[in-house]
Amino acid sequence: MTQPLGHSGISTAVSTTAATEPRPGGRRRAAAPPAGVVKRRPRGGRRFTASSWVPWLFVAPALLLFVVFKYLPMAKGVELSFYDVRPFLGNLWVGLANYRSVFGDPQFQAALGHTVVLAVGGTIGSVIVGFFLALLLEGPARSLWFMRSAVFLPVVTATAVVGEIWRLLYYPTSAGFLNTVLGFLGIGPLHYLDHTSSALWSVMAVAIWTGGPYNMVIVLAGLTQVDRGLYEAAALDGANTWQRLRHITLPALRPVVTILLTLAAIRGFRTFTEVYVLTGGGPAGSTDVWMTRIYQLGFTRNEIGVASAAATLLFLVTVCLTVAMQWYQRRKEARP
Amino acid sequence: MFRHSATTRRLAPLACAALAGSLVAGCGASTSGNGGGDAKGPLEVWTRSDTVDAKAYKRIFAAFTKKTGIKVDYKPVVDFDKLLQQRAASKNLPDVTVNDMGSLGNYQSQGLLQPVDKKAIKGTSDITGTAWSGAVGTDGKIYGIPFSRQAQGMFVRKDWLKKVGMKAPKTWAELLDVAKAFTDKDPDGNGKNDTYGLLVPGSTNNGYLAWFASNFIWQGGGDIVASRGGGKYEAVADSPANVKTVTWLKGLYCSSKVTQPGSLTMTTGDSYPFFTQGKVGISLTGPYEFPLFDKTPGKDKLEVIPAPKGPDGNTVLAEGENVYLMAGSKKSEQQRKLAEFMISPEAQKLGMTAPDAPVVRLSVNTKVDTGKVYNDPRWKIFSDAYANDSKPFPSAINYQPIRQDTAESLNKLFANCGSSVKSGLGELNSTLQQELKSQGVAK
Repeated sequence: MTQPLGHSGISTAVSTTAATEPRPGGRRRAAAPPAGVVKRRPRGGRRFTASSWVPWLFVAPALLLFVVFKYLPMAKGVELSFYDVRPFLGNLWVGLANYRSVFGDPQFQAALGHTVVLAVGGTIGSVIVGFFLALLLEGPARSLWFMRSAVFLPVVTATAVVGEIWRLLYYPTSAGFLNTVLGFLGIGPLHYLDHTSSALWSVMAVAIWTGGPYNMVIVLAGLTQVDRGLYEAAALDGANTWQRLRHITLPALRPVVTILLTLAAIRGFRTFTEVYVLTGGGPAGSTDVWMTRIYQLGFTRNEIGVASAAATLLFLVTVCLTVAMQWYQRRKEARP
Repeated sequence: MFRHSATTRRLAPLACAALAGSLVAGCGASTSGNGGGDAKGPLEVWTRSDTVDAKAYKRIFAAFTKKTGIKVDYKPVVDFDKLLQQRAASKNLPDVTVNDMGSLGNYQSQGLLQPVDKKAIKGTSDITGTAWSGAVGTDGKIYGIPFSRQAQGMFVRKDWLKKVGMKAPKTWAELLDVAKAFTDKDPDGNGKNDTYGLLVPGSTNNGYLAWFASNFIWQGGGDIVASRGGGKYEAVADSPANVKTVTWLKGLYCSSKVTQPGSLTMTTGDSYPFFTQGKVGISLTGPYEFPLFDKTPGKDKLEVIPAPKGPDGNTVLAEGENVYLMAGSKKSEQQRKLAEFMISPEAQKLGMTAPDAPVVRLSVNTKVDTGKVYNDPRWKIFSDAYANDSKPFPSAINYQPIRQDTAESLNKLFANCGSSVKSGLGELNSTLQQELKSQGVAK
């Protein structure tokens, strides 16, 4: 995951962590140990025995790193959002003025629109692509293992490199790679990143290209959980491929899809590197997203306070999104 | 009930972290380097340079140490402003920096610079008056010492001109004709329609498009913000002259289409390969590109000319670097000595003759003869342009947001061929006026 920003970027990173790491509390409660085996601590009790410290001891190194490199900078970012940041002269308290200027800025409003389009389009696209890749490449065969690794490559390639490569692929004259291919079919040359009407869609295509294989891996993991017997039984009952997919695979993958959507949506809202490398937010601001706007404000205009306010808002949005998804998932799981 | 307790438990560590954050925030900033508060140790000097420029600066500082015995802890910094802000936050700035004269207003408004007493520094009387104009703050005090100056000029492919049977352009109309011929008449003779006339770094990143367009705006008789005296400024972006100029510039994208493809998302770095690899024939830029362009496409294939004349002359952008004495330094004596050395003919010549990149382009010292030092008549184009027809961005105010807003507006106009130049510039003007107001310098 790329972290382009200093303190203001880190606040958005934390929410992802919150989403990726399964919360042990909820899961453990679902499978309660048999009565009498473990003595329950009284509710709300504050007594710690020596043994109750042991797990914390193991967690401590990671926790310490998280506090120093994530939570503290994040808190600092939230704090800065209430100040006119002047590193040398001393910060001035401005209350909610930074938030007001974010909400009042038409460029932020446009960027929000682009971000939502990119996040929704990229999420849906990459989930669908990931799903079909997973269906195609599921199985224990050695050749499939190779294919899966090959398909996964975009995920482990640095986003900046991916961006530069796509810049070349998208080269907007007939000499460009994609345009040469289209030329064989008698189409084009298309403008891709060069035109306000097509730039956002071209960026979205890159996001889907990189996000799809990542989702594939998660879906693959989900597919291994599906009971093979169900397929056989359905086949015996005369169900065709589509019916098996619709009535067995998809319902079984429901929890996986929820996680996928949460992760992909958060990734979508935090998109930065793809846009920054591919278009820098242009042409004419047509691909400007929330994060590139924050970057411009913070590091080109030196308005760290306003940039922090915008980053805090993004953080709140991702937290809300995560909580809403979790709540939705719980409700679904509660209803059989 | 169950859900409530789970949420509380989850939020507790977060709240703790937030609280701890506010308590420890003060100690987050660490101190590093020898600059700022320390009266002993070497003088910490930063320049905004890559490794190539750094070689030239190292030569200068080595000569300084040899002469004065003062040691220099030199750091070339590419991501200059970001790192400087970090050091500002820890209240421990480097002692001396060398950076764009355009940064003066920005730094001064943040209290990062010491005012300069011209009389206390030997050799300042040898510096040209025009050079000093880029070192004055809004309050009329001097905040920098001029180190290098330059103006822009035009690099044109000589071999392409010959191929299409034309001469180097002297006016905007001729520029457009040559650019069209370079685009349409296959000047590289490869049988493909794959060349373009004019190189434009049109990205909004760092306001690139505004750097480029300012030359034309001034040549057209307009301006972006105008000084009204007494440290006050007024936005003048929507003048009739600007409407004409910007309409002409828009034509380069929308009707004649002579710019390189993808221009509106390209920074200077992104765009140069088009010139060096022979896809574009004209580039408007500074003399710092001699080393690069003389290698490819090659010195023998280039003709260097003054910028073609617009309706109101051929004013080009003047730029340059100042030496800044940073606030909070306890080494004022050493700072002064370094400043004196940097403007001396010795250091200026060292900077100009650096083998890979001349970090001093046009000397600010009247005792240095630029033509003699370079022994290359092409430099005269740039020194003449600087002396006679150049104009800097106002350095006293924080010009960066103004450049950014201008670039964003122009980028929008050039990307949407159906857009109205007049209303686009009108909107830009009110944005700029607002920006001047927020800086407290609006007329």
